[in-house]
Amino acid sequence: MARVIGLRLLGSIGAVLGATILAFVIMRLLPGNPARLILGPLATQHAVNSLSQQIGLGRPIYVQYWRYISDFFQGNWGYSYSDGETVKKLIVERAPATIELALFSFVLAMLSAVALALLATYSHRPITDRIVRGASYIGFGTPPFFLALLLLIFFFKTFHLLPGPEGRLGVQAIPPPEVTGLYTVDALLAGQLHTFWEAVEHLILPSLALGISSWSFLVRLLRANLLEVSREPFITVARGKGLRRWTAFRRHALPNAFLPTLTAGGLVLGEFLAGSVLIERVFNWPGVGSLVFEAIIKQDYAIVQTFILLSAVLFVLVNLIVDLLYAVIDPRVRIPSVATA
Amino acid sequence: MRLLRAPDRAARENAGAPHGATEPAAGASSEYALSVRGLSTVYETGEATVHAVRDVSFDLRATERLGIVGESGSGKSALALSILGLIEAPGRVLDGEIVLGGRDIARLSDRQLGAIRGKQIALVLQDPSTALDPVKTIGAQIVEAIAVHEPQLRRAAARKRAADLLREVDISHAEQRLDDYPHQYSGGMRQRVAIAIAIANNPSVLIADEPTTALDVTTQAQVLALLDRLVDEHRTAVILITHNLGIVSDFCDSVAVMYAGRLVETSGVEHIFLAPTHPYSEALLKCVPNPERLTEGPLPAITGFPPDLSSLPTGCSFAPRCPIGRDLAECHERTPQPHRVSGPAGEAVVECHFAERRIREVKV
Repeated sequence: MARVIGLRLLGSIGAVLGATILAFVIMRLLPGNPARLILGPLATQHAVNSLSQQIGLGRPIYVQYWRYISDFFQGNWGYSYSDGETVKKLIVERAPATIELALFSFVLAMLSAVALALLATYSHRPITDRIVRGASYIGFGTPPFFLALLLLIFFFKTFHLLPGPEGRLGVQAIPPPEVTGLYTVDALLAGQLHTFWEAVEHLILPSLALGISSWSFLVRLLRANLLEVSREPFITVARGKGLRRWTAFRRHALPNAFLPTLTAGGLVLGEFLAGSVLIERVFNWPGVGSLVFEAIIKQDYAIVQTFILLSAVLFVLVNLIVDLLYAVIDPRVRIPSVATA
Repeated sequence: MRLLRAPDRAARENAGAPHGATEPAAGASSEYALSVRGLSTVYETGEATVHAVRDVSFDLRATERLGIVGESGSGKSALALSILGLIEAPGRVLDGEIVLGGRDIARLSDRQLGAIRGKQIALVLQDPSTALDPVKTIGAQIVEAIAVHEPQLRRAAARKRAADLLREVDISHAEQRLDDYPHQYSGGMRQRVAIAIAIANNPSVLIADEPTTALDVTTQAQVLALLDRLVDEHRTAVILITHNLGIVSDFCDSVAVMYAGRLVETSGVEHIFLAPTHPYSEALLKCVPNPERLTEGPLPAITGFPPDLSSLPTGCSFAPRCPIGRDLAECHERTPQPHRVSGPAGEAVVECHFAERRIREVKV
């Protein structure tokens, strides 16, 4: 067990280091002065010189790299030249919107994937199975931003069922008092049911657009796992004990089919947290993704660079947590098998 | 490998008589632990219908041990699952009566069958490495088998019974080992656990589908000896599915030879070894290694392959491979009916046109 955790930790640290080296090398390889790149076209030569000094340009490359990662891990992410604020403040401000969208989308994708995978496998209905598999193909093949536009045209423009691309709440709505930064949770904490519902309404379309391809992936994975596990002899044994079909399925097939899905779930959540740039743009979602989009347009390098590193770290972290969780849940990982004759 | 103690064997000798398809089911309720009539099971995939079990009938007396022998793919396991009502789609039990303890269970719902499975009729499967849920403790899996039929039982009491069951199947430190997971048990121990689960509620019938095939030889003998002792103590009737005739001769009172979904020869266990009447039974017996026949050269194999169960030939399904009927029009055209014959080692029911002729030719 300790060995498993140790190996996973080492692997994670390696992955983060790899990501930082990549980002570092790319910046050094770009033509021009990295300090100029970070500070933007409007910075004075004096400012560029001062930053060059600070990040150690001209010093040996490993010193530069060390400064670079120690600054990053200490939270010294520099200033946004276009905004004048620290990058840290900007990202912290925007993070709750992104986190809320990612979590909502994740829960939605997970629950519907489980429900549909069950529907496709539990009772032998080849037609249902085919429909679910077909839907997952479409989900795989549709670019999320395109789906986002379709959803908007259908649910907002044509049928007025859900709000349009106006961000997290309606134009005139007042955000709930901030506790967690997640509007749905804060609204519930403040007892503002109306605001809660409005926040949920605003979450639905972006979540669908963000989650669709991962949902397809999860459905296919779960379906395959469930099919495989439900054919295992231990299901027959469980039913032979007198368990009804659904009970045997729920107690023995579901937990075993979920274990591999846990890993996939970690990947998906990491992806949602890091990868909602386009979706946030389409829905005017005031999250980190929108911030990065604006930063790219304005060539605000400090923000983009931090975002890349941060996503890498976050992604690795989520997957590390999942791996450790796996070790806790699966007895075959937690407890070594005893070699017996 | 003589596992049976002589007196036990003598006591059950009477149970060994065959009960063929021709015998009416009437009165089965009191006499038989299990009575199967005309059981047929198919698997329907898009293109083909596989006839896995075809019109199978047999009776099993209380405490009788019936061995069902046949090649891989002859429908043995499908027969076991059909009796338990555990055939999953695309498979389906077409027809037949399954009278268990006087009650026809063939058309019961899943809920009604749930009260019977594990309680009156239980199952042990072939591969102990896949028969237990890898993420649940051994204790939880045994307790589950008890609790499903006694929901009012307290946890502690159920756990105590589970520990007793583990002791009964010779697992030491039973209390502690309840909290272990299957991967902490060896293969033989897992099969013991599977047996403990099967006998947890004292069923009157136990179906064991190749219970020792996946184990190494020494473990096989131990598990079989354990099974032998337990079904004796619990007075359980057993259907032992196997392709190993040695196990049949050691363990069983009667035997049914299965070929292409049908029971082609049913008899007491002595008959099959002394006077195998169906040509397939005879061929099967010749394939068993025997040191006394070493001089006769290499082991014979049955020529040809078992028929495709989705496109069965007309007539006798063994005819294309049969040394007698291969070239006879009769065998290829008419399906043989069950013939009741009496040989030097008791009666048998044989599905072969030549059953009477062949039994007369047996040299004793």
